[in-house]
Amino acid sequence: MMKTRIPSCGTPPRRLRRRSVLFLGASAALAGGMPSAHAVPSFARQTGQDCAACHVGAYGPQLTPYGMKFKIGGYTDTDGKDGKVPLSGMLVAAFTRTDKSQAEPPANHTHRNDNLTLDEASVFLAGRLSDKLGAFVQATYDGVEQRSSLDHADIRLAHTLELAGKEAVLGLSVNNNPGVQDPFNTLPTWGFPYIGSAVGFTAGDAATMFNGGLEHRVLGASAYAFIDNALYAEVGTYRALSPSVQSRTGQGRGDDMGRLGGGTAYWRLAWLQDWKRQNFSAGLFGFNTDIQPDRLSGGPTNRYRDLGIDASYQFLGTREHVGTVYTSFIRERQTRNDLFAVGEADNRKGSLNEFRINASYYYKQTWGVTAGRFATRGNRDATLYGDGYANGSPDTSGTVLQADWTPWGKEDSWGAPWANLRLGLQYTMFDKFNGARRNYDGNGRDAKDNNTLFMFAWTSF
Amino acid sequence: MVRCISSSTLRVFMALLLMALASGIPVARAADLRHGEDVFAQECAECHSVREGKNKKGPSLSAVSGRKAASIADFVYSDAMKQSGIVWTASALDAYVANPRKAVPGGKMKYDGLADAHDREDLIAYLGSLK
Repeated sequence: MMKTRIPSCGTPPRRLRRRSVLFLGASAALAGGMPSAHAVPSFARQTGQDCAACHVGAYGPQLTPYGMKFKIGGYTDTDGKDGKVPLSGMLVAAFTRTDKSQAEPPANHTHRNDNLTLDEASVFLAGRLSDKLGAFVQATYDGVEQRSSLDHADIRLAHTLELAGKEAVLGLSVNNNPGVQDPFNTLPTWGFPYIGSAVGFTAGDAATMFNGGLEHRVLGASAYAFIDNALYAEVGTYRALSPSVQSRTGQGRGDDMGRLGGGTAYWRLAWLQDWKRQNFSAGLFGFNTDIQPDRLSGGPTNRYRDLGIDASYQFLGTREHVGTVYTSFIRERQTRNDLFAVGEADNRKGSLNEFRINASYYYKQTWGVTAGRFATRGNRDATLYGDGYANGSPDTSGTVLQADWTPWGKEDSWGAPWANLRLGLQYTMFDKFNGARRNYDGNGRDAKDNNTLFMFAWTSF
Repeated sequence: MVRCISSSTLRVFMALLLMALASGIPVARAADLRHGEDVFAQECAECHSVREGKNKKGPSLSAVSGRKAASIADFVYSDAMKQSGIVWTASALDAYVANPRKAVPGGKMKYDGLADAHDREDLIAYLGSLK
């Protein structure tokens, strides 16, 4: 996963640990939340399909119904031929420019502005392991942080059967990020923007727990059913990885969010209506957890209750002109017993809302434009949203525009299915950042100073 | 010069047309190859190519008309398709595209079927036009 780095401000470790309970989501949103994936060529080699069969724009995570069903089916669908190796690789290189130089370089070995970076070099175990078992496991070298870690991991067991005359897929997913197993592109993990700057700004500092707050630091299992190619239902639970396991998987011990309560639950309900020429989905999702930052039993916890609603529409037609619209809204209720007890929050209770909407158009699965709006709003808390925020407010809003070119990935493409490339230009504009349009950090930095131009080359093989 | 059709001839023609419609006898309709190509792109192209030798999840449909089922050597067919004995005439294609599971029980094509008869007609005409 890509992470946008927040310049170090010398925060004491305990404070950082406490605050990270609330802000890990932020560090995954500003500081990342950027899905770094993926049209994985080993899937294309396994199925004999073009990338464009599963992915809008022939690349990236935007799934067509065919791609959704492939994922729900446990990544096991195949053209029946043996000898397929479920391995792929991916590289992302980028140039990032912010409207105003940052106060400090966003990471070691970077500049305050105009950074040329190797954002990611990833290898994937991606594909069919047996008739009913498949995997999507990514290990990434982060060229900005200069370290390697276990990235997204989703291992699935799926079985297709007939229920009351209707086709049904029943499955299990073991994964390390709530939402990574979802087949739709409306939840934060796989939502637009599908790629973002590692050294610029992609969102404000505050984000819901479901928006990347636990990614790669937990292990969970969920059971799901997909009935009659329409009704999708899933329920699961998660546990935090121990600090030593987090360290061994490259996440680092320093940002351990603590221990998750036994009632941690993830659930999802969605309806997909696929008419081939067009399709839509609508759904609900939720994530509940209690987190003990100190990992001491009996100690106070911070409680998060996330509830979301989402919808999508895709016009696929003959695939010459493809249009999509995705939207989601998440409301998070927080009960910050631990943060309140240690003086890190003024209010025991608060809420945070996240709204996203975006629309894309692709011509001949090659030329694409996407526009998206995002807005995060929440209750004020002068201590919780203290340093780096204005008015004690977590509010951030803005617009993302992207244009991209994907020359390959179609039936007649050169090098198919090995060669895949997307070149893109993305611009993120902030109306408000961390609570204000102007001087949000108290040092004269305006929201628009964080506007980020991001040019990327994204290839996989 | 304009020739007038007598009212009695017109009545007979209309009567025959109505009888044909009422009896379900198909009234001739020219297939629309362009529409058939669009139907192929919308419904079939994810899994099938019309390029000779290009197999995807499904076998190439190049020159499929008149071909014996399960006859492409390097494609892995289901046992049901291998044993079907089907020759892909227009009527066999029509029945299969309308309801694959009924036409070839146990086949592996994951497709619910194309309900619109005109779409099928145009699609099959388009496939038949490919050499």
